[in-house]
Amino acid sequence: MASEQPTSPAPEPGSETAPRTGAANLLELNGIEAGYGRAALVLRGLTVKVPPRTIVCLVGPNGAGKSTVLRVASGMLTPRAGEVLVDGVDVTRQGPQERLASGLAHVLQGHSVFPEMTVEENIRLGAYSVKDRALVAERTAFVKDLFPVVGERWTSLAGLLSGGQQKQVEFARSLMVDPKVVLLDEPSMGLDPKTTAAVFEQIVTMRDAGTAVLLVEQNARRALETADIGCVLDLGRLHITGPAADLLADPELSALYLGGRPHERT
Amino acid sequence: MSLFVQSLILGILLGGLYALLASGLTLYFGVMRVVQIAHSAFLILAAYLAWFFATRTGLDALLSLVITVPLFFVVGVGLQRLLITRLKPATLTMMSVLLTFAIALIIEGMLGFVFTGVQRRIHFSYGSASVPLFGAEVPVVKLVAFALAVLALGALWLILKKTGFGQALRATIQNKEAAQLVGINTDRVASYGFGLGLATAAVGGTALAMDATIYPSLHWHWIGPLMAIIVVGGLGSVPGAAIAAMVLGISQSLLQIPLGTTWAQTVFYVALFVTLMVRPQGFFGGRLAQRF
Repeated sequence: MASEQPTSPAPEPGSETAPRTGAANLLELNGIEAGYGRAALVLRGLTVKVPPRTIVCLVGPNGAGKSTVLRVASGMLTPRAGEVLVDGVDVTRQGPQERLASGLAHVLQGHSVFPEMTVEENIRLGAYSVKDRALVAERTAFVKDLFPVVGERWTSLAGLLSGGQQKQVEFARSLMVDPKVVLLDEPSMGLDPKTTAAVFEQIVTMRDAGTAVLLVEQNARRALETADIGCVLDLGRLHITGPAADLLADPELSALYLGGRPHERT
Repeated sequence: MSLFVQSLILGILLGGLYALLASGLTLYFGVMRVVQIAHSAFLILAAYLAWFFATRTGLDALLSLVITVPLFFVVGVGLQRLLITRLKPATLTMMSVLLTFAIALIIEGMLGFVFTGVQRRIHFSYGSASVPLFGAEVPVVKLVAFALAVLALGALWLILKKTGFGQALRATIQNKEAAQLVGINTDRVASYGFGLGLATAAVGGTALAMDATIYPSLHWHWIGPLMAIIVVGGLGSVPGAAIAAMVLGISQSLLQIPLGTTWAQTVFYVALFVTLMVRPQGFFGGRLAQRF
């Protein structure tokens, strides 16, 4: 079991492609301390690294601070200590809009489409910060190709789509800015098992299309089966990290965080 | 029969005016959950500015809109940034009632101080003219006020539906966090939304003053019916407010035939009570309110 976070992915799909710049990790959270208001710290010196073309999954019990990691990463919450690096550049003091421009897109948990707007309007709003029309058209074609449901339901109100379809619209919307890293918060929340499986397949598709993914999931076993690297959080700290397959195979971790041994569950 | 037709036509014209007066009020609530009691005070302020402009320059009072519309927009942005944003989100709606109540009192006091309590009326060259319409005689000023309302509401619809700002505003109303995450500066959008609401008050106040005598405390007469309209239409829904305004305007005008002007006014409150009993979210409220 690795106790240090690897700085480059295990030889996983897509690893033959070079990263966008020389930085080994597209996203680095170093020594993050963060919390809400005057309440106690939620994150206590957490370090997480996301290499290019990799799905990194954060798992852990409720209250471990998983969603808070994403809020710190996307700039919705300013950390009290520590630094956030995107592709080697310090973005710790940037707000959500600048982080988006730096290449971080955040998909919230639950449903976060604009329900009373059409799928088209939702997708176009994904490129709200992009002024280059040719680029918007190119990205639109790209996400329509990646998520066929987007094109099929183009003129429907997004709120009328099924839960799984809405998730795909949210994924597509987040990809409109061509982000370096997509932050996904509980993408399977409220979805039935079949739809959950489809959503996890879409996450792999996103990675294979060139985007790194930082994933937070309650459904830890399913998430680790999809991810390249797993990070187990407990009490606001990184408890253990390593290739996702190794974490899944560890009987102690399995009992503590994944709800029993693999063979008991499958 | 001709009395009925006359009342119906006047009711439609009145409904159009009400729709404009109420549109800003429902917009504030839709964007920020703010109940803007001072909206009608700003209507009267715009009316006074139109009157002052016309008496000082001798020009048509409608030209004052060139000044008051941008001025009110800027004042609205300033009010939102300096005052509304300081209210705690948890108690925003309740506290906004108190805050804007104070603003209404300040505007009323200032109007009384500057212009005295004397009743004023704007004079138009076409002020006493009327045109025949389906056998009824319709005052030109009412037609112009209606046209102004239709134009302003059309412009508001185009802004909300067709511009990037309108899309950002609607996105902010529907899901503020998601709007931030696609790169929308939701604080700026909210303040522009407030400015837009107040800009409608500039047009509405001027349209209102075309056919009414104005005095500083007149806003108390208006806030009740306007609040009733936006609750019946569904808080936050601009089309809902427009439809409720039209229905209630026509009802009020027709009820004046058997009941007289004083009792016809009660139609707003009867509609308010009935709505709260049978459909508390209003007829276009809840999720429908987010559909423009």
